[in-house]
Amino acid sequence: MLRVESASFAYSRRRVVNSVSLQVEPGRTCLVIGRNGSGKSSLLRLVAGLRAPTEGSVRWCGRETSAVAPAQRARFVAWVAQRSMLAIDVKVRDVIELGAVRGSSSASLEALLHELELEPLVDRRFHELSGGEQQRCIVARALRQHPNGGLLVLDEPISNLDPSEAIRVIEALRRRCQLGAVVIAAMHDLSIANQWADDVALLDAGSLMTFGPASQILQPTPLSSAFGCEFRSSSGSISLHLPRRA
Amino acid sequence: MRAVPSTPTTRAYSGSPILGSLSGRHTRLLAWGALFAALFAGVAARLLIGRDPSTGEWLFGIAEGEIVALRVGAVQSGAAAGAALGLSGLLLQALLRNPLASPFILGLSAGAGLGATLAAWLPIAAAGTAAVWIGPDALLPGTLGSVSVLLLVFVLGRRGGVLDPLTLVLAGTVIASMCGAVTLLVQSLMPPTSRGELWSWFMGQVPELPRTLPWWNTVVILVIVLCASSWKARALDVASTGDDEAESLGVAVGSLRLWLLVGASALAATSVALCGPIAFVGFMAPHMARALLGGLHGPLVPASALAGAAILIWSDAIRQGIDFGSGRLPIGVLTALVGGPLFLVMIRSARLRRGDWSC
Repeated sequence: MLRVESASFAYSRRRVVNSVSLQVEPGRTCLVIGRNGSGKSSLLRLVAGLRAPTEGSVRWCGRETSAVAPAQRARFVAWVAQRSMLAIDVKVRDVIELGAVRGSSSASLEALLHELELEPLVDRRFHELSGGEQQRCIVARALRQHPNGGLLVLDEPISNLDPSEAIRVIEALRRRCQLGAVVIAAMHDLSIANQWADDVALLDAGSLMTFGPASQILQPTPLSSAFGCEFRSSSGSISLHLPRRA
Repeated sequence: MRAVPSTPTTRAYSGSPILGSLSGRHTRLLAWGALFAALFAGVAARLLIGRDPSTGEWLFGIAEGEIVALRVGAVQSGAAAGAALGLSGLLLQALLRNPLASPFILGLSAGAGLGATLAAWLPIAAAGTAAVWIGPDALLPGTLGSVSVLLLVFVLGRRGGVLDPLTLVLAGTVIASMCGAVTLLVQSLMPPTSRGELWSWFMGQVPELPRTLPWWNTVVILVIVLCASSWKARALDVASTGDDEAESLGVAVGSLRLWLLVGASALAATSVALCGPIAFVGFMAPHMARALLGGLHGPLVPASALAGAAILIWSDAIRQGIDFGSGRLPIGVLTALVGGPLFLVMIRSARLRRGDWSC
């Protein structure tokens, strides 16, 4: 179980995460939603153990994630960055294989390639791929690291993907949840979030506005309050209301 | 959910950019064969080409007696210093995530040269005697000089909190110039009898009678860093992602960076102590290895050392035949004339402009 208790984080004097508390049970997907600069990425870095909270704690199965050495932490936490970088010129297969961490129960590479339909790309150079293809490779690398249980932390994992690729990635992550993993991800697409999330954390200026089941949080009132624009709900889906042209 | 294919496949080879059309195994064999062939051909060329030490006349062919010992000595010097420079360049490129990095371009060689020169001059200055230049044997001052320069470049090369490839190169160039100027100043303070030897060392040389201590320093440090880098090859691959990604994949970035800093600086310092500052070998060798063997560090670590040795031995063999009337062409001039244009091509390359390798 992921348990975040009164976690805060500051870059020098600027506090970017302010006393956030939330709890995610195994097998559930929690999406972190909020305006740009609301502290989503910083919160996810705390969850992944890449930063130590200045106050409070972040625990996975009772262990403080930031207190564990990277080699050990990599066996139970996988991270997908919003914008991945790679300074070596290698093939897609090699990029995904970077996720084969010693001591983790790595998924079969071939099964992963098949699951995310990466077989046609596997022998191409990573730098030659489109942004969406690269993002799928990075998600595959995280899944290679953590096939089943564990904590998957993803910062906008489907932001560059077309609808069919996004569905493929979400399906893969859902399968990991069915096997006991916790998925926590930041995203902006509320119509997909509405269908994907079990829990939603709504952030505003580093603070948690509200946290709970997606059906309660993804409603016009809390979203309008968080984003400062109008949302409408119809037959179970949520949509942004664009003002009419003058 | 679709069925998962049950047929296991072997791990494919990362791929050589210039031998890419062949199968993985054949490519790998060809690449290693080409590297070893280049090295052995260079050794053979250097053993066959030389100058008469007394008359300076150009000699070609199988030598005898004292001449053989001189040529073997030059091969020993070139192999040790070239391999150290090649590996140092690879480690710096990994440390800074920058394909333009090398000990010469970032000023490490100049820093090591300044440290070693100061260490040789200070006892002379303190004693107030016209002592004879004994050569920059001191390993510690050279390493301190190169580490100091690298730390300075590391700080100055940041723009907006991230390492910028071209700012790094500019910072390294400026610091190298300043170190060179101070080294020249120290040279002017040295006894006149010592200046000539210092000057030829400063231009880069592959000694035919390598001093025992610097040569063994280079070999021992090369073997230690080579073994440790091969052991850390996967960590080097992982560290080519961002810092957070590398940590999430199990690599302690801070301690790896410290290791790379010390390893690359020590290699640069030992090669400078042995041969003086030699331009661009540390830049060319990793790119030559990468072109043949792809980007993964497992093969790149030994291949960069091999390529560095081959480049320096070949350069030393070629310069034996180039004389503009004032003796053999200094080796640093030759490597700069070859490496400089390659460096400019890299700066202009589409890949660098796209920022694929930027930090």
